[in-house]
Amino acid sequence: MKRHSFQTRLFWGFLVASLVPLLLCSAMLLQIFRLRMTNEARRGMEERLETAAQALDAAFDAFAQTAARLQGNPIIAGALAGGGVEDTLVYNELFSATAQARSWASFDLYDLQGLWRYSTRQIPQAERLPTDWGALFAAAGPGEPPVFTACEDVTDAASPLLQGAVLLADGRGRPAGYLLVSLYDSHFRQLLAGTHGAQSDLLLLSRYWRPVYCEQPSLAEELAPRLRSRLLAGQSLEGDSEAFLYAQAHHAASGLWLVLQQPQVFTRATRRLLYTVSLGCAVICVAISILMSWKLSRQMFRPIQRLHRVIGEVERDNLDVSVPAERDDELGQLARRFNGMVSALKQNREALIDNQRELNEAQIRMLQAQLNPHFLCNTLDTMKWISKINKVPQVALMSTDLADILRFCISPDEFVSLRREAAILRRYIEIQRIRMSGAFSFELELPRDLEDCLVPKMILQPIVENAILHGLDGVEDGVVAVTARETAGMLEITVTDNGRGLPPDMASGRYRRPGGEERKHLGLYNVDTILTKHYGGDCGLYLAAGPGGRGAAVTALLPARREEEQAC
Amino acid sequence: MKGIRLAAVLLALVLAAGCAGGGGAAPEGAPGQENRLVLYTSHKEEVYWPIVKEFEERTGIWVEVVTGGTNELLERIRREADAPGADVMFGGGVESLEAYRDCFTPYACAQAEDLQPQFRDAQDLWTPFSALPVVLVYNTKLLRPGRLTGWADLLAPELRGRVAFADPAVSGSSFTALVTLLQALGEEDGGGDTLRRFAAHLDGRQLEGSGEVLSAVASGAALAGVTLEETALKRIAAGDDVAMVYPAEGTSCVPDASALIQNAAHGDNARRFLDFTVSPEVQRLLTEQLCRRSVREPGGAAETLTPLADIPLVDYDVAGASGRREALLMSWAFYLSGEEAPS
Repeated sequence: MKRHSFQTRLFWGFLVASLVPLLLCSAMLLQIFRLRMTNEARRGMEERLETAAQALDAAFDAFAQTAARLQGNPIIAGALAGGGVEDTLVYNELFSATAQARSWASFDLYDLQGLWRYSTRQIPQAERLPTDWGALFAAAGPGEPPVFTACEDVTDAASPLLQGAVLLADGRGRPAGYLLVSLYDSHFRQLLAGTHGAQSDLLLLSRYWRPVYCEQPSLAEELAPRLRSRLLAGQSLEGDSEAFLYAQAHHAASGLWLVLQQPQVFTRATRRLLYTVSLGCAVICVAISILMSWKLSRQMFRPIQRLHRVIGEVERDNLDVSVPAERDDELGQLARRFNGMVSALKQNREALIDNQRELNEAQIRMLQAQLNPHFLCNTLDTMKWISKINKVPQVALMSTDLADILRFCISPDEFVSLRREAAILRRYIEIQRIRMSGAFSFELELPRDLEDCLVPKMILQPIVENAILHGLDGVEDGVVAVTARETAGMLEITVTDNGRGLPPDMASGRYRRPGGEERKHLGLYNVDTILTKHYGGDCGLYLAAGPGGRGAAVTALLPARREEEQAC
Repeated sequence: MKGIRLAAVLLALVLAAGCAGGGGAAPEGAPGQENRLVLYTSHKEEVYWPIVKEFEERTGIWVEVVTGGTNELLERIRREADAPGADVMFGGGVESLEAYRDCFTPYACAQAEDLQPQFRDAQDLWTPFSALPVVLVYNTKLLRPGRLTGWADLLAPELRGRVAFADPAVSGSSFTALVTLLQALGEEDGGGDTLRRFAAHLDGRQLEGSGEVLSAVASGAALAGVTLEETALKRIAAGDDVAMVYPAEGTSCVPDASALIQNAAHGDNARRFLDFTVSPEVQRLLTEQLCRRSVREPGGAAETLTPLADIPLVDYDVAGASGRREALLMSWAFYLSGEEAPS
């Protein structure tokens, strides 16, 4: 899987942390807002339906009262039965009975054959109505409130929209004729004016959800069948469209259904607006996430990048660098510790370089000492033969010894057996005896098992020379003794003299190199350096007072290694 | 990656929550199944609406009306045979209903004995609704009264190419008229000769639908035409310059009908509706307001039309006409385009 950069991960983190709560919040708000608004609207619609139903109640109560007042009226019954009653009398009765209700409907009287006789309108709706069909057929019995039936065409303002009929009886309970209550478009308009808001449309539907009345008849004609089919299909009246809300109520007295249609308060446009706002917030979130992740990663990245660069420098062997550590946080600590590490590394390396230089200097000095030694050897050989010819045996001996020492010195071997080292030491002692006329005695005690031990060549001669030249200077019966022993894998070679003891500038214990540019005890210095460089800091020269407090004892300490081990 | 997936899931949840919660519960006021009836009807609204409305008011049954062409609705009934969408097929000539006999259930309606026997099906598979005689019409300004008295006059040379006749393959009434014409003029050699003569007489011109016949005659585009009594009476009542004659050689009077669909969900309500369609009130409505002829026994003063007994009738065989429909239509199509009929 591809690894995302720190910055990308930061970005996603910020994005999720900000976007998810935002979206959840928006959706919840949207939902709550919608439910609240819809409920609010529904409550308002129900109130308006209630108002409309009350208006209808008033009218239909009045119709029932009118019917009750005309029921059993002898004048009316007589007139309908064709009893020759004067028209004015009949109309007087009719108008007084319908006084309360006349503004909401027109009233007609039909005889039992369905012939029109009297009307509160100027023109009757029909001269004759079938008694086996429609309104008169459905007429309620005497004493009951009229039964209302819807008429056919909702859009026809000239014909009644709703008709109710009741059978009128005479005083003895015999049917005499019909009272027909007809409600026209204008009546409904008057009845329902102001009962519902301007925003909504009130639709009156029959018992079977056929359209009866609407302020806009064309709306009723178009909407009612749709509502009816939804009702029959058991769907909600809203259907799939989100444009309108519907509320309905049943009006028992008339058998009508009141349906209120109102545009959705929470429209598509509102929703789109809220979506847009949410989207805008989301975009801002994304922008902030980008900005924050960029800034934060930059803050973290700058010190890391500097550290990165400095490590590169260190890799290229430049230790004179450091990271600015001005901050106090974790990154500042890291920088400080890194700086400490670099400076420690630097000190270490300087020590190493010093060490190397010292070794190099010693080697150079040795090389200088080996300058043109062959010429010297040959010369010494020549001197040996000349002195033999001239019978000067000391010179011959000295020449032979010197030539051997010289040869030994210039041999390429760096390490030699202790046996050879001791042999060369004897040569040197022979020369010194001749030089100093045998003023000291020399003892060499070398255990046989140590004869094979390997030592750097020419380490004993400088110590012994030091003992002879400085220790026995002006001492009678001087003795120089060389002993070797092995202790715990370490070879100890001790040169003891009984001379003047350690000079004041040299304390007993581990040999300390003289400071500064001083070149005193060059021999001891060189030997100590050789041993230290070869075998490490613990090996080297140790000084002590000689046995019995006289003279000095110089011990060379080095690992005891045999020739065969070396060979391995 | 995980973060993105989580975010996507949350987003989907949020959107789902945003969309849900709409739509209210089913509204109150809907009738139970026992108070419902579904009608397929090919009648015009002016015919079915008063009847449906009165039926609702009288019975308290909610009627759902699905309108369409006769053949379209019959096809639909056959398609829905396993789960019928309707209870009653209301309308359609009995010849059409005959072709779909297996989709219907026999029902002998109440007052069946009051119906004229010639309009009843032997098995009561359908219930007749109205009788529709085939008539001839002519333009009163262009044709002298008495000039057109029967089928033979229609074939007179001066009317050649001026007769309005609807395509019998489209219009059921036009097919009935064609069969009636063949029967009335005699069917030598199986009617082939008469059929060829009539087709040639039309000069290859037939109208797209039965509704156009009256318009063609009233506008003068045709001098005479063949249509149903009901259609002609309505145009005459509307004041057009059209007159109607019952052909002297005899005409047919094939009823349209209603039928109970097999396995109807609301069978009882369907039977009540069929009873209602032949009730005296509805049948009187037909004659008084819809210019149709009742299928009940004549009687009473309401009869304003020429009594059926006074109209010469041919012996029209509904089942036979229905059976030879395909062959007849094919011959007709050939003759009309001026070719010989296929042997």
